[in-house]
Amino acid sequence: MRALWRLVTHPVFVRLTGLVVGGVFVWASLDKVTRPDRFADIVHDYDMLPLVFINAFALVMPWTEMTTGAALIVGVWRRGAGLLAAALTVAFLIAIAQAEIRGLEIQCGCFDVSGMTHSQASWDLFLRDIPLLLGAALVWRRG
Amino acid sequence: MFPEKLMSDQGESCPLICGTAALARWALARVPHATRAAILVAAAVAAGAAFNALNPFGIPWLPSPGNRIGIPRAFEARLPQIDAAQALTLYQAGEALFVDSRDAKDYRRDHVPGAINFPMREWPDFWPAIQSDLPRDRLLVLYCYGAHCGLSTRQGKTLLEEGYEKLAVLDYGWVTWIEHGYPTVLHPEGYPTREGGG
Repeated sequence: MRALWRLVTHPVFVRLTGLVVGGVFVWASLDKVTRPDRFADIVHDYDMLPLVFINAFALVMPWTEMTTGAALIVGVWRRGAGLLAAALTVAFLIAIAQAEIRGLEIQCGCFDVSGMTHSQASWDLFLRDIPLLLGAALVWRRG
Repeated sequence: MFPEKLMSDQGESCPLICGTAALARWALARVPHATRAAILVAAAVAAGAAFNALNPFGIPWLPSPGNRIGIPRAFEARLPQIDAAQALTLYQAGEALFVDSRDAKDYRRDHVPGAINFPMREWPDFWPAIQSDLPRDRLLVLYCYGAHCGLSTRQGKTLLEEGYEKLAVLDYGWVTWIEHGYPTVLHPEGYPTREGGG
C-alpha cells in the first residue's frame, strides 16, 4: 500500500496525471466553445440554473475547462488548475446525479454538443467522472 | 521579501524587462492556489467574451426577449416568436404548417389539427423521412410543451441551419393553445391536462 502511495505521489506520475486530466478538459471544451448555443440548450435541460444565468454560464464554463486544461498540460499553476479541475468535476458529478435522481432523460453535454447522437446523463457517466476527480485532486494536492 | 538574487543576476543586462519579469515571477509565485484558480476563471471569462463576439453562433449573455435560451444572435430575427392569437390567425388562414416538436406519445394524445409530428428528441430517426413533408416555401409554426420548453426553439435553430427560412415558434407552445380553447385533435382517451375539455 505504501509502495502504491509512493508511486501515485511520484512527481512523474503526478505530472502525467495532470497531462491526462488537462487533455480531457481541453478535449471536452472544444465543441462547447464553438457552439455555446447548443451547450446552453443542454444546460437548460439540466434545470439547475435560473434562466437568466444560462447563456452566461454556457459562455464561461467551456472556456474555464479550456484554460484549466491548458494550464495542466503546459504545467503552469498546476495546483491551482488542479483545484479548479476538481471543483468543476464535483459540479459535473452533482449535475449528473441530480439529473438521474429526478429521472431527466437529457443529453450529457460532456464532449459532443453539436451532433444529433449523444451520450445521456447517466450513472455510468457519473462513475466515469470519479477517476477524473481523483486525478484532479492528486494534481491539486501533489502537483 | 523581493528576490535580490534575481535582480542582481539579470538586472545588469536588461534591468527593465528582466527586472519586471523577475518581479512578476516573484509575485505570481506567491499567489495562493485558490487565487490562481480564480485568475484562470477570469481568463476564461475574457476569452469567452472575445471569442463569442466573433463566433457566428455567438449568443447574448442574457436570454433573448421571451426568455429564449441559447439563440445565436444571428438567428434571433430569423426565428420569431409568436403568441397564441397570431398562431390562431395563421391556422385559420391556412397559411402555416404546424409542427409538433413534442414526443410522439404526446402528439398521439392531442395536437393542433393538421399539425405534423416531428419529435425533436428523435431528430435522427425522423429527419430523413420527414424532410419531404416540410415545405420550404410555407411558414412552419413550431410548438412544444409550454413555458421554457426548448424543443421547438432548438428545432427552429436546426432547421435554420438546414436552410429553412420561414419559421416561427409558438410562445408557451401547447399549453397556451389549449388554455385559449383553440381547436385540437383529441385522442379518444383524452389528454390528462384537459379534463372535461373537448
